[in-house]
Amino acid sequence: MSIIMISSAAHSEGEELASSLASKTGWPSLNRSELVERARERGIKLGRLETSIIKSPVVPEKLAKERDLYLAFITTILCEKGRRGNLIYQGRAGHLLLPGVTHRLRVGLMTPDEMRIEKAMKDLRLSREKAEVYLDQLDKDFDKWVRYIHHADRLDPAQYDLFVNLYNVSLPNVSATLCGMAELPDFQPTPVSLRLMANIDLTARAKVELAIHESTRNLDLGARAVDGVVTVTYMPRQEGAAEAISKVLKGLEGCKETRCTMAETNILWVQESFSPASDNFEEIVQLSRRWGAAVELLRVAGPDEHITAGAKGLSTSVKGPSTEMDSASYTGGVEEDGREPVLDDKGLTQTMEELVSIGRSAGGQTISGARQEIIERIRGESNCSLVVLGDLFLEKGHEARMRLMRELSLAIRERLKAPVITADEMKSRFLFGKKQAAKLLGFTAMVVCIYALVFSFQAPILNFLGGDIHQHWRGLASVGVALFVPFVAYCYSTVTGLLLKLIGID
Amino acid sequence: MHSLAVHFLDINLATGLQVVLLGFIGGVLSGFIGSGGAFFMTPGMMNLGVEGVVAVASNITHKFGKAMVGSRKHGEAGNVDKKLALFVLGTAVIGIQLAVLIASRLFRGGTGHGAAQGAGANLYISIVFATILLGVALSMLSDLIKTSRQADGGGGPSTKIADFLARFNLPPMIYFKVADTRVSLWVILVVGIATGYLAGTIGVGGFIGVPAMIYVFGVPTAVAAGTELYLAMFMGAYGALSYAYQGFVDIRLTMLLYLGSLVGIYLGVYGVKVVNEKIIRLVTCVIILLCIFSRIIAIPIYLRQLGYLTFQPGWDRYFNLVSKFFLFSSGILGCLVILFYVVRAYRQRRKIQKTLQTAAEPVGEHAEAGLA
Repeated sequence: MSIIMISSAAHSEGEELASSLASKTGWPSLNRSELVERARERGIKLGRLETSIIKSPVVPEKLAKERDLYLAFITTILCEKGRRGNLIYQGRAGHLLLPGVTHRLRVGLMTPDEMRIEKAMKDLRLSREKAEVYLDQLDKDFDKWVRYIHHADRLDPAQYDLFVNLYNVSLPNVSATLCGMAELPDFQPTPVSLRLMANIDLTARAKVELAIHESTRNLDLGARAVDGVVTVTYMPRQEGAAEAISKVLKGLEGCKETRCTMAETNILWVQESFSPASDNFEEIVQLSRRWGAAVELLRVAGPDEHITAGAKGLSTSVKGPSTEMDSASYTGGVEEDGREPVLDDKGLTQTMEELVSIGRSAGGQTISGARQEIIERIRGESNCSLVVLGDLFLEKGHEARMRLMRELSLAIRERLKAPVITADEMKSRFLFGKKQAAKLLGFTAMVVCIYALVFSFQAPILNFLGGDIHQHWRGLASVGVALFVPFVAYCYSTVTGLLLKLIGID
Repeated sequence: MHSLAVHFLDINLATGLQVVLLGFIGGVLSGFIGSGGAFFMTPGMMNLGVEGVVAVASNITHKFGKAMVGSRKHGEAGNVDKKLALFVLGTAVIGIQLAVLIASRLFRGGTGHGAAQGAGANLYISIVFATILLGVALSMLSDLIKTSRQADGGGGPSTKIADFLARFNLPPMIYFKVADTRVSLWVILVVGIATGYLAGTIGVGGFIGVPAMIYVFGVPTAVAAGTELYLAMFMGAYGALSYAYQGFVDIRLTMLLYLGSLVGIYLGVYGVKVVNEKIIRLVTCVIILLCIFSRIIAIPIYLRQLGYLTFQPGWDRYFNLVSKFFLFSSGILGCLVILFYVVRAYRQRRKIQKTLQTAAEPVGEHAEAGLA
């Protein structure tokens, strides 16, 4: 039971490949046009979204909700079809849907320009020149759509499992190759990948319900589902949101529990193992209370766990008591029905429960893999103000770890447009300790001295800035102002920043 | 050669405290509305007796240091499109230079009517201030009313101008990666000169730069605010250098403004997080309109000093008082509204510390209990 996701540009044989594959395998197929039709039937204003993204240089921020709804909705349909068995999906950027699910075979289709132009000329009865211009514009529009909807580059090779160029290979041969590839153990569902898909499905269905229901559609919400527990975050100004959210999600299939957390923003905490007794936990909780933030945990499984599970990008959510993974039962990624993987979640559940008890939880999950998998999983995190990277890449040496952390930090910052810090930096950047106290004293003394000096010697200073002396030293006076003012601003802003940190307002 | 130093205000304790208060209110408003707060601080200082050009110069210098600190924080959050900022900056320098030239000439030039020196510059600054901000306030108000009527709640800025300009597709078009938008170089030129001119004339840059980036370029709000702050750092530096070269920067006023503004800005920013967007825009509109009214009331004083109006000089005091009243009430009113929401949100946060839990399946008593 695999899901083959084919991504192709317009007029590039993508649909033909999907139908050839469907006829060879007998698997059901779905294409973007059907998804779009279903979305329109559901009342999603897709036309407005497409026009804004493609036709105008401006994408209004108010359409972000429309985008989230669209993504959630098509995810529900894919999950619904995919849950029944094998599936072939063909679209613009299908490879970016269902992030992290390992039983997807993500295929990119490259068609030579000449073939596309001829196809466009035939399909649309255009002259060669017009077809060339048309396809060029269409590709640019597609790029923009993918960037806005998925926050990714359409042609990024890291996002594909296979990229096929039709210049040298015929369509039937590509189809036969894909049939064979889809049978490989790497693309077979495992209990953990199915569980992840169930989580994605429930998250998407919860998002759709919340976005469509009259009582919640105007709220700013974030939702994540893990093993039937749906965690929804809402803004403090949205009074009564918790009650409305719970009512809307009450009858949702598969939703065992709803947790509503009032939070202005999210802090994403990424590391290999968690402990509620650790210093990092204390500091994160302290920071989340000050910011009114919810904390989302992302556990990155170590390489041993990765090898044991036998699947690339293993991803699972965690629930219930932690147990040890049975490495002896490795089956190359193919698991028997009904068998549950046994996992040691390295304190994730315990830490999450602790966060729930203090009202700061935004959910948690485990993923495995390298930088690319982490980036893929956090792609949709739009309400995140800070990413804290804890202990990661522990099996590496110090230098290698530093380099990997730096690369990961840059990649996350680029993706989320949010500050990324290490857990060690948290105290110095956001909390108040002995070092900060010393800094506060030093800078306060400096500020007092500067102000005392300026206001004690007003006459000569003003003379230098705008009086007789100024007439002879204009250049020096202007350079003096340009250097002195930022220095004062820096010193005083350090004092105010530290003072506000001390009293807990920042 | 006369001494410019005589045009610097004699600052006593009461005046100093008032400047600190102006800085604080300006800082709160600045953090809340996202502008530099100059629309409040510049006329506020003028009401205290500071010459218009000195008020603008000291404020632009104050803005320079503040922007330097602020843009660093925005940069960390990925909200700065440096390429866009540098393109606008290139053209804004022309605008600033033009503004400094006009203001300096009006200040020094005299009027031929035996007017007090600076009256011409004061009148000019007041008229530009009132005209531009009236346009900003009215367009904000109209946008607010329109979006309030929309069935889906609206809330986002209008894209009509950007859509209109995009139709022309005037080459060369430049792509800005962080903002993810394409803009014609010619549009950037016009906006840059206008922003620079207004920053140099009335010390108001963000009020034009941020809406221009959002409405004309189509830049996301957070990136517009971050980029404007980055831009303000350079524009402020250039403005500060130019005015300091002319001898108009009163460093004491700049330092007193910092005492209030750098504290106030934190409270304003916190307010944005907890106040509904429509309320933010409504409060902003009301504050700007009151500020404009305050400046308009002061205009007859400068007209009399220039000899265009005739009335008893003693009346200046009353005009000044009424002008001061409206200015301070706009700032204090805005501050109180923001502080009200800040305190309410803080109390609300303390009240709801626990995560609310409810079982959805099976539906039963537990669910209701969780909600309670």
